[in-house]
Amino acid sequence: MKPQSVSLLAAGAVLTASARAADRAAVADLVARIKSPDDAVRGPAWQSAGPYGAPAVGPLAEVMTDPHFEIARSARRAIERIVRHAGRPGADAERRAVAAELVKLLGHASPNVRKHALWMLSEIGEAPAVEPMAALLADPEVREDARCALERIPGAAATDALKKAMATAPEAFKYAQAHSLRVRGEKVEGYPSQKRLPTKPTRVKAG
Amino acid sequence: MTPPGIPRRRFLRRSGATLIGLGAASLPQILPARVLGTPYSTPSAKDRLNIAHIGVGGMGNGHLGYMLARQSRGDVNVVAVCDVDENRLAAAVKSTGGKATPYRDYRYILERADVDAVVIATPDHWHAVQTVHACEAGKHVYVEKPACCTIEEGKAMVRAAREHKVAVQVGSQGRSQREAFYAHQYIANGMLGRVHTVKCWHYATPSDDNPVPDSEPPPELDWDLWLGPLPWRPYNARYLHGVFRWLLESGGGQIRDRGAHVMSNALHFLGADHTGPVSIETKGRVPTKGLWDAAIEMEVTYQFKNPDWTLIWAQPGEMVPYPDRERVKREGIREGYGAVYYGDKDKLVVWVGDGQVYTEQKALDYTPPPGGVQVPKSPRFDHHEDWFEGIKTGRKTIMNIEAGVATAFLCVLGNLSLICGRKLHWDPVKQEIVGDEQARRLMSRPQRYPYTL
Repeated sequence: MKPQSVSLLAAGAVLTASARAADRAAVADLVARIKSPDDAVRGPAWQSAGPYGAPAVGPLAEVMTDPHFEIARSARRAIERIVRHAGRPGADAERRAVAAELVKLLGHASPNVRKHALWMLSEIGEAPAVEPMAALLADPEVREDARCALERIPGAAATDALKKAMATAPEAFKYAQAHSLRVRGEKVEGYPSQKRLPTKPTRVKAG
Repeated sequence: MTPPGIPRRRFLRRSGATLIGLGAASLPQILPARVLGTPYSTPSAKDRLNIAHIGVGGMGNGHLGYMLARQSRGDVNVVAVCDVDENRLAAAVKSTGGKATPYRDYRYILERADVDAVVIATPDHWHAVQTVHACEAGKHVYVEKPACCTIEEGKAMVRAAREHKVAVQVGSQGRSQREAFYAHQYIANGMLGRVHTVKCWHYATPSDDNPVPDSEPPPELDWDLWLGPLPWRPYNARYLHGVFRWLLESGGGQIRDRGAHVMSNALHFLGADHTGPVSIETKGRVPTKGLWDAAIEMEVTYQFKNPDWTLIWAQPGEMVPYPDRERVKREGIREGYGAVYYGDKDKLVVWVGDGQVYTEQKALDYTPPPGGVQVPKSPRFDHHEDWFEGIKTGRKTIMNIEAGVATAFLCVLGNLSLICGRKLHWDPVKQEIVGDEQARRLMSRPQRYPYTL
């Protein structure tokens, strides 16, 4: 990646048309290398993805659905690199730009992409991400990941979203949501913890 | 026999405490009958500790073998075994002569009032949840190292052990070994002067050079229970058994496996169990492919303050060959890991650090002067025996939960610095990362319900 592109992407700056074209080219190059069947090309590509920032998040999410499991995994890890890079202290604009791209992925057709976006947002998401994340508490494929991700986000917005969702959640899921609220210091009536309730007998016999 | 109205666990401890009052502390046994008889006289069946084993593969199988040997001497009763792999479970039941009750779900064991103590040897991501639940159920706990996978898990373990007043021993058994005692004694009595640097070495973490796609779990495995607190994902043969160590979530790589031994000894020898670093900085190389994501090579620098010293975890680092080559062959000394302790007067090498610990002859030959520092010693240099004594007397075990968590925090923070790609700053009093919101959030990992703390 060209140093000029890295600096623009990292800054989350308002880009000129030519700079945007350069960034698109850089991201396309990254994606091409991550889609390489050659480990020696793909590995270094995802490991260096951090500075590519927000513009690379969406394209990489598409690669997460690649049928080649190593390519899909590399794309997932590239997004992790971007999120860990953007989360560094003092990079607020970059972090928010990446979070905004992750929020867009919450509506992705692939549950794997939605899950990954939720967990990544659990690391850098702030109040604006909470409502779209909380919407996935109603998604049977990823609601448990949404609950976990919200549990990790500090602040009243996530607490309020979990409380609000209690009203409409399926009865069985309310126990999990009550747990998250208790973790966050809230008092919850009913729905006692099931954590020590044994449920899985063995088929192995003594003697 | 347990008097009516007194919980069995409390009665056993009270009985032991009475023995100590009678001057029986040095006896290598845990129950009243032994005070009155020879060291291996048999306690009555009802006064023996009832032990349950949670996780009976790998290290768990070793623990089970140890307890069965003690059972054959009449010390304990192995009353239950548990595993999420039915093949391993069936083998464990067979090894007990069919006498132990099998369970897939450890929570059945915690419901049994007759179980006094549990030995937890599951993959790392289960350690905290099972330990906390066992403490809440009033069971004494021996839990394999590392104690925890996240900072918040560790704090919860300490709280649970304290609140429920149970003896917890973390399985960093290096502290209990004979030559570790001598190394500790040598360092604590100032023979190195002020120790300013400890450099660990360890060979690299393996990488998965033959990745496989996700697949259906084998029929004997309860994949949901194996995952437990981790987010749900499809089964992959590269998760287990044994190789869970090479994933950050479930094992953390060599630093959380052997680092939990070698760095445990460093904290122990330097009297630093109740301290922590102020900064952690990691450089490393992670696999380019495959499921395993723990660093192949890494160097972590931990800076401690007041007193100031530096701890370095290095994979591979600079291995020091053990000087007695004949002994290496004879005893199978694993030189692939260890540490060098540098003081302003001298240095000392400590090899290995787990079930094997070796040090230099000068430490073995050393006798403290009158009034010198006395360092703790596990009974018979036996880590399990130290746990039993903790159960019996209520005294802190040599690798108590606070110490186990302090060591695990080093391992966790080393990996976190690598994951984040930056130096981390740590408040050792508040036990939290400072000045880095993302890293702070990574001090915990929300757990899949109902497998929660």
